[in-house]
Amino acid sequence: MFEQFWIPTVTDLTRFAPELTLVATLVALLVAPLIMGRSAKTAGWIALLGTAATILATLRVGGSVHAEGISGLARPAAAGMLILDNLTVYFKIVLMLFLAGVTILWFIGSAEKEQHGEEFFVLLVGSALGMVLMTATLNLLMIVIAIELASLPSYAIVAFNKRNRTAAEASLKYVIFGGVSAAIMLYGVSLLYGLYHTLNVADIAARAVVHLNTGHNSAIICIALFCFFAGVAFKIAAVPFHFWCPDAFEGAQIEVTTWLSVSSKAAALVLLLRIVDAFSAATAAHSMVIQITVLSGLAWGLGIIAAVTCTWGNFAAYRQQNVKRMLAYSSIAHAGYMLMAAAIFVHPNAPADHSPIAAVLVYLLIYAFMNLGAFGIVAMVQWKTGGETVDAFNGLGRRAPWIAVPMVFCLVSLVGLPPFAGFIAKVWLLLALGEAGNTLCWTLIVVAVFNTLVSLFFYFRIVKAMFLVDDGRDAFTPPIAGTALVNVCGLILILFGVIFINQPRDIAKRYAANLFTPAVLKPHDRRATATSTTPPDLASMRTELADGSK
Amino acid sequence: MLLTSVVFAPLIGAIVCLIMPKELTRVVAVLTSAITFALSLFLILPFLGGGDASRAIEVFGGAYGEKLHFVHRLPWITGETFSIEYFLGVDGLSMPLIVLTTFVALLACLASWNFNEWKINKSIKGYFFLFLLLEMGMIGTFAALNFFLFYIFWEIMLLPMYFLIGVWGGPRKEYAAIKFFLFTLAGSVLMLVALVAMFFYSGEAVAGGAPSGYLSGVEITQGTFDLIELATNDAIQQHFGASSTLFLGRAFAPLMFMFLFVGFAVKLPAVPLHTWLPDAHVEAPTPISMILAGVLLKMGGYGFLRLCYPIFPTGGVAWAGVLATIGVVSILYGALCAMAQTDFKKLVAYSSVSHMGYVLLGIAVMTHTGFQGAMFQMIAHGVSSPMCFFLVGVIYDRAHHREINRFGGLWLTMPKYGTMATIGFFASLGLPGLCGFIGEIYVLLGTFEARHQFAWAVPAAILAASAVILTAGYVLWLIQRVYLGPEREEHAGFPEATGREMLILVPFAAFCILFGILPKHLFFDYVNGTLVNIVDAVQAATQTGAAYAAGF
Repeated sequence: MFEQFWIPTVTDLTRFAPELTLVATLVALLVAPLIMGRSAKTAGWIALLGTAATILATLRVGGSVHAEGISGLARPAAAGMLILDNLTVYFKIVLMLFLAGVTILWFIGSAEKEQHGEEFFVLLVGSALGMVLMTATLNLLMIVIAIELASLPSYAIVAFNKRNRTAAEASLKYVIFGGVSAAIMLYGVSLLYGLYHTLNVADIAARAVVHLNTGHNSAIICIALFCFFAGVAFKIAAVPFHFWCPDAFEGAQIEVTTWLSVSSKAAALVLLLRIVDAFSAATAAHSMVIQITVLSGLAWGLGIIAAVTCTWGNFAAYRQQNVKRMLAYSSIAHAGYMLMAAAIFVHPNAPADHSPIAAVLVYLLIYAFMNLGAFGIVAMVQWKTGGETVDAFNGLGRRAPWIAVPMVFCLVSLVGLPPFAGFIAKVWLLLALGEAGNTLCWTLIVVAVFNTLVSLFFYFRIVKAMFLVDDGRDAFTPPIAGTALVNVCGLILILFGVIFINQPRDIAKRYAANLFTPAVLKPHDRRATATSTTPPDLASMRTELADGSK
Repeated sequence: MLLTSVVFAPLIGAIVCLIMPKELTRVVAVLTSAITFALSLFLILPFLGGGDASRAIEVFGGAYGEKLHFVHRLPWITGETFSIEYFLGVDGLSMPLIVLTTFVALLACLASWNFNEWKINKSIKGYFFLFLLLEMGMIGTFAALNFFLFYIFWEIMLLPMYFLIGVWGGPRKEYAAIKFFLFTLAGSVLMLVALVAMFFYSGEAVAGGAPSGYLSGVEITQGTFDLIELATNDAIQQHFGASSTLFLGRAFAPLMFMFLFVGFAVKLPAVPLHTWLPDAHVEAPTPISMILAGVLLKMGGYGFLRLCYPIFPTGGVAWAGVLATIGVVSILYGALCAMAQTDFKKLVAYSSVSHMGYVLLGIAVMTHTGFQGAMFQMIAHGVSSPMCFFLVGVIYDRAHHREINRFGGLWLTMPKYGTMATIGFFASLGLPGLCGFIGEIYVLLGTFEARHQFAWAVPAAILAASAVILTAGYVLWLIQRVYLGPEREEHAGFPEATGREMLILVPFAAFCILFGILPKHLFFDYVNGTLVNIVDAVQAATQTGAAYAAGF
């Protein structure tokens, strides 16, 4: 009987020190005001310290990551309840660095006038915890909980300035869309659970592949999978689940926009890659025909969504006057580029070094710098002039050259032109697509490069406003710390684009390798501690299904 | 190393410009371009004596790509499945264009000397920084022999050019700048597709030609970005040219040829992709127009000769008729448009479209004479057209307008300037004895030469030859309206061309004449070997590919 109650050992817990550190940071943020009195800045410092501690913990844990990836904090250990592998380590470090960047941005712009710093950071760190969990699980329940943990604080934080009507409206839209897609996702999850009596995605994938191939229950599986993916697509803001994104980004205060633009998409993308990997692993044991019939549907589905997402994002951005809103559409477009990698990853023959994942990881890293820089500059313009439309940037080259020049770097990098890092990120993506080398991939390459052209239109509206138009607005001095921050971002974009081209990719390759793939556990031995890593053979599965359907 | 220093000397100068005090910026810039020019002259040395049959092999190699000079190769970007080299080198194709670039850049830099007197003279540091950055991009594009490196240099030019037109340009500068950017980028995104495709397809070729990609279960083999390797490796050439090699369902070579062609045709510019050019020229400040006409347009022609033909010779056959048509249309349309202009600068801009049409026609017929004519036409136009733009700039500085019909009798007011202008415009006209003639006559002869191969060659040559009348028409009419006639009162106060202006005009004029008189000794001796190698390789490849080309 005691076997049913499983208590994690110390080893299990130390593996998840980064998550626990984040939880501790949350607790500290809540308790600190009781001890030291309310102070926004203290909260900011606690968040920053917590971020640093999490990075340290991740590095320490990362050193011991097993070559196969470790799943822990659940029994059996191979079930993928909470995963620790290279990918989670990489994601945690990038996310925490980005969180630190956002916190620094907050210190520069909002710390002075903020009344509710504690709550702000509880929500911010809470959503970060949710995102960290999102990338580290292949358990349906855990996925749902992680997505909700990431979303609920995001809803609140978008409307954090409660006197701002736009923010309230944005948040409401975000909540409604989020709620509906969470419901859809839960519906899909419950269908999947009802079909297969398991929460382990690997199990579900293994059975679904057989079912899809035999046509058994295939309609309901498709519906369930579609609903499930819809929840993930909502977080990525993939078209047609993107409607919340521009509104939320426009209404939220700028640090929040910066945060959401990268982190929520990144987390959902990593989650998607994991799910896709589980599905492609599930087909590995089957014949080529099964692989093609089952996976090409998934690949084309994701590929089309990717192509539509980036094209839609770029075209919609063109008409925007509000720079935050424009960058929101830009973030939709960039999510589309990254989704392309997910589309080609749907195959058991995908290279062992996971070049599509590596491409996404490099892209995410560089994208984080581009966005931190671009939003940082938009933030400074807004703090100093109160405007966040394109007009507010008129003559910025003269008014504040030290932020206008890095803005050009960020924008050109977002377009994806050399000699900036954005181009290199795009090249890795295109090369990863080319490696896959089928019609879908070449089509996606063509779509991606034409989107470069389309995106030039709107990114250069800002460049034009900054340097080509001057309507004599007053010059201003942006905050020194902020100027330093965005110039560092700009410099990094040049360095990664010209000199250190290899390094991000080498790092990403190292972290993309040895992706944890959960074992498929047969339903009857789900409780057993022994794990089997061999994929199920088709015949035994058929019998098993026949048994189940009696 | 010498080549690397030629490429990056402008970059160092650009950074020095940013550090030095404002007053010294233009001195630094002129010094930098002078040093770059001086360094680039050393590139000519190994080509001396290339006209001797005995030394031709030594200078140019027995086949395309066999002999490169000043090669500088370093591993640059490496991965498990690929490596991208930093690979620079010159042959007879790129050497003259690099020297032309540094030459025009030096004179354009001198033309910017009076920056402080311009109407828009903000941020002198920014101007010269971008100017030198542009020079680096141009030299790098000509020197790069790795496609990836080539592409990076190609794109690096866009940003400085956008700002140079957009910030220091005329009244419609925003429109002209973004139009230039969009057109060029539209071409270069197609080039990017070709870049990725050529890399993976060359990998397939090395592996034996089966379609690769893990989705079809085949391991990826390392491809290459090396432009010489792509053109000379037999396995790659066979695989690229085979009609069974498909890209998205279409034959590979003609499609890739077209992707690359569109990218270069925008730069050339060929009708109907030329519309950015008049806008960009009219709005750009004079020195930038000189660079644009003198060097940037040559990138298009260079791209054909370096990428399209050596790598996809069968594509060249497949599209020869289309290309020649575009060339002839560009010649005629450009000339007719030039005739209709009342804006002095726009007239010169359209004449560029017309002249670069000859380049396209000469290349499209794929004969020795045609290629040589096209190459000569590029250099000749690279000398005469910046000169014409500078001549327009000189008069614009004085009159502050460019209406042809409001000028007249300028030769009497400014005799030295008038003489220079006559040389420049007659060179552009193609008067025998001046540089424009040699290129056009070679192109026409080359087109006739191809009459056995292409039925359209003779009509194309006749049409192109008749365009000479149009050219003479608009140039003579222009000279008559602007320089001849009675002296006008409103021009009485115009000062004669200053020493600086003559310093710029005289070298141009000298080369206009010298190239016209001594084309062999000044040009063909250093270039022909490489062009002959390219044409021989192309013709050898098309013998086998001709039948298939008809089927595309």
